[in-house]
Amino acid sequence: MTNSIAVALAVARKDLTAEWRTRELVPALAQFVVLALVIANFGFQIDSRNASSIAPGVLWLALVFAGLVAFGRAFAAEREQASLEAMLMTPASPVAIFAGKALAATLLLVLCEAVLLPALALFFGTTISPAVVLAVLLATIGMAALGCLFAAMVARVRARELLLPLLTLPLWIPFIIAGGQAVQVAMGASGNYDQAVALLIDFDILFVVLTSLAARFVLDE
Amino acid sequence: MNKYEKAAAAAVALMLLAAGAIFLYAPTDALQHEVQRIFYLHVSSAIAAYGCFTVVLLGSAIYLRNGSLAADRLARAGALVGLVFTTVTLVMGMLWAKPIWNTFWAWDARLTSTLVLWIIYAGYLLVRRLAEPGRQAARFAAVVGIFGFVDVPVVHFSVTWWRTQHPGPVIVRDALPPEMLATFLFTMACTVVLAAVMIAIRYRIETLADGAVTEVPERTAAAAPREPEPSR
Repeated sequence: MTNSIAVALAVARKDLTAEWRTRELVPALAQFVVLALVIANFGFQIDSRNASSIAPGVLWLALVFAGLVAFGRAFAAEREQASLEAMLMTPASPVAIFAGKALAATLLLVLCEAVLLPALALFFGTTISPAVVLAVLLATIGMAALGCLFAAMVARVRARELLLPLLTLPLWIPFIIAGGQAVQVAMGASGNYDQAVALLIDFDILFVVLTSLAARFVLDE
Repeated sequence: MNKYEKAAAAAVALMLLAAGAIFLYAPTDALQHEVQRIFYLHVSSAIAAYGCFTVVLLGSAIYLRNGSLAADRLARAGALVGLVFTTVTLVMGMLWAKPIWNTFWAWDARLTSTLVLWIIYAGYLLVRRLAEPGRQAARFAAVVGIFGFVDVPVVHFSVTWWRTQHPGPVIVRDALPPEMLATFLFTMACTVVLAAVMIAIRYRIETLADGAVTEVPERTAAAAPREPEPSR
């Protein structure tokens, strides 16, 4: 067990180091979410009255598509250098390797959220309270588990760019329903914040457990 | 006629009987008039679709457990037939909703979860098509089949604390007059038989496509693909 955790941390550290040296993904994602806000501005005709009701929707749209890009890239380096096969040939358990990749991709997406939320506050005039941050982070956990699972799956499939959104988006819907509710309430709409957050935690547990059970079947050759 | 053609003919005859019961035997609803007759096939095909997706879940789980190719083919057949019945459910529901709710679509818990169901299993069939044929496609699709089945109650549950306007379960609440209940139960039985026959035919097609059957009688091999094949 401790061994698996060490493997997962080592894989995550490797991915983060590679990202730190190349600095490819995070700047691209940051630019992507800012662009999404700019496009939303023209799509919605935002003014000071409707900004707070539109902002939660824009937040989730930007986050979902940034997530697709981030998780789609998670296995790109391994695929290009065929290093996943080499990692799987080591005695390390595939689930630990998968957990490490998922952890790294999640941290990169959190970095992207650290750009998205202040940018949203700046351009849409919303307050970014701890309640909003908590809901977004909770949703990120489950979305990352599912996103990485399907990214690992489609990494060896042709037309992977087509398939990843098709498989991932429907399974993310529960997180967007609950997370959307939580963020709307936190930004001033009426509703039950505690219930939405409790639901997010339930979904996180359910999908993290299911994903770790399924990871073996996706990564095994 | 081989046994598949006979089974298909029997299923079609049963569906015609059900249509007769729906239009001639069942009484007209006092409030919704003729539109209410959509209910019988709408709910029946929803139940048939859930049955098909249960077949996908079982087939996928068995495949992941012991790699049985037959289980995988069964899952494939179930996904395709289930998708057809989900489409029927959605389209008939929308036709009913337009006169009754004055809109084709509402973001209600059942409508949303049924649409997500449709999208997930359409994705399942796409994985089968895009992944390398063989073990890899089967394993990936099995994972999608299992996650999809889990996701649907989750979506349903998470939307129920939104407003819901879909009619509640009239059958369990014993709210139907006996003639309507009899018509519904008969239609449901016929639809489930139709789904089972379609899965059997599709299973046969998948078997032939896999080339798993080495000695195929000439006539069967030629006849099987001519069965009413649901569009992908």
